[in-house]
Amino acid sequence: MSQTIFTLKQRPDVPLEAEVLTPDVVASLSHGEVASLPLFMGKRQFRVDDFFEVNGSGTDNLVFHGDCGRVKWIGRAMSHGRITFSSHAGMHLGAYMKGGIIKVGGDASDWVGGEMSGGLIHIHGHAGGQTGAAYRGSMKGMKGGTILIEGSAGIELGMRMRRGLIAVRGPVRDFAGLQMKGGTILLMSGAEIRTGAWMVRGTIISLKPLKMMPTFSAGCVYNPNFLRLYTKSLAEHGFTTPVDAWHGVYRRYTGDTSVPGKGEILVWSGPAH
Amino acid sequence: MGGKVSCTLGEVKNRADLIVYWGGNPAECHPRHFTKYSLMPKGRFVPNGRKDRTMILVDIRETASAKAADIFLQVRPAKDFEMITVLRALIKEQPVDTKLVAETGLTLEELTDFAQRLKKAKFGVFFFGMGLSMTRGKHMNSAALLTLAAELNAFTKFVAMPMRGHGNVTGGDVIMRWTTGYPFGVNLARGYPRFNPGEYSTIDLLIRGDTDAVLVLGADPGATMPQPAIDHMVRVPTIVLDPKVTHTSKIARVHITTAVTGISAPGTAYRMDEIPLPLKPPLKSPYPTDEEVIRRIYQAVAKKPPLMPPVRPKVPRV
Repeated sequence: MSQTIFTLKQRPDVPLEAEVLTPDVVASLSHGEVASLPLFMGKRQFRVDDFFEVNGSGTDNLVFHGDCGRVKWIGRAMSHGRITFSSHAGMHLGAYMKGGIIKVGGDASDWVGGEMSGGLIHIHGHAGGQTGAAYRGSMKGMKGGTILIEGSAGIELGMRMRRGLIAVRGPVRDFAGLQMKGGTILLMSGAEIRTGAWMVRGTIISLKPLKMMPTFSAGCVYNPNFLRLYTKSLAEHGFTTPVDAWHGVYRRYTGDTSVPGKGEILVWSGPAH
Repeated sequence: MGGKVSCTLGEVKNRADLIVYWGGNPAECHPRHFTKYSLMPKGRFVPNGRKDRTMILVDIRETASAKAADIFLQVRPAKDFEMITVLRALIKEQPVDTKLVAETGLTLEELTDFAQRLKKAKFGVFFFGMGLSMTRGKHMNSAALLTLAAELNAFTKFVAMPMRGHGNVTGGDVIMRWTTGYPFGVNLARGYPRFNPGEYSTIDLLIRGDTDAVLVLGADPGATMPQPAIDHMVRVPTIVLDPKVTHTSKIARVHITTAVTGISAPGTAYRMDEIPLPLKPPLKSPYPTDEEVIRRIYQAVAKKPPLMPPVRPKVPRV
């Protein structure tokens, strides 16, 4: 499979803004055209080959080598193709993305998949804050697609998300599912405080006990069937979940009554009898 | 989000019959606030002054302001967000979990009484301080209180106003708002304003080390910001404009002494309710004003060739 390989020459002092580095822009361009695409460093405009060594062209399969933790907006609004990072990725990775696949070998920064509407982002390290969130002043966060995080995630995970799935294997910080309007968040190692605050609709599933907000009320204990379908779907992406978790029983909390909302939080409460 | 429902301090003086101070200690930090604007003055619709007003203080400890309060509610540290969220549920007569409410340090009865008072007020005002906005939850704590104030307008008139710290913070916010559309955390590098607190706000930029120079104007971040942010200011060229030598000046490459605004330089200061007040200087200063220094720097930079070539990148539309 042909690839266009971008190797970062050196880590920039000031973050680079590289919204042109998406399969939608790069796929149809020649090697020379890709190398001359503009990047912004603060106020200054540079060329892609000022910072990256470019190999290959004419493909929607992009590969990034080197620590791109300071390169922002890669994969912005991509609709097809594939982006692979061997190391870290910077802020706003896959923001507004509509389709395609992004895989990150290292960590990603804040606003991964901000307001995305389709596609898959799989992060093998940690993610920053506001993953799958809405931008400031916007009413809807991610509207579709899947974000899988093998490490931990920061604050405001899935803030105002509307649809889609976020699954996190590691611990998550405050305000997971803040003002959620739909979609699903799976927390495999629990979260800190204020999970599901101000949620209107949507589902948060936690395999560890959660510190609940006072505005949630406990409903019943049951085994939701749809979780098994999620297991299968996640396994297809190589995101495995413990068998126990999917056959166990869950305590269902509903809230947030301050909105008032009809969101649900399912907390695993032991294997089925 | 609710947005900020606000008013002037004149309206507070003439109308407010319920005053709530949240996470602040005005008796010691804003000593003239009670007597000039909020609590003591007789107003048009509160003819008996203090007697016509109820004052509620919410804080984590009993400060000097508690003596001035009719009701003091002691919330546990970092439980403000939970408390406000419970109040939002209570004003809508929605159920809450009694046991978890108790973790805020207040009973459900106390909060129900508080919610009733908020709803029954003729004109209520929240004044909130750094005890709310700078503790765990930060911007969401402020957002919670602003939303509560906005929602209370379904029952009565209610406003929320932040108690400002030193310097003319309100002025900075107001000017940024009418020039760029956003109050703070604005990036103008691409030629148009972009707003993203957390990405472009000062402390975050400095801690991540995202800037290669720092210009400090009318502030002393060297005394107040976290150590990693100060370390970055030491690493990069930092320029300070200040009438006196500050903590920041000591770590800066350049310190430019300027005239003191209001004493030896004219200008406009914004009061905490966003009312612009002209400053008439009684003295003359040998030093240039902040404005003059910035203008001269700007003129010198403008003589340099432009950084932005006319070609714009192709970006897919979203």
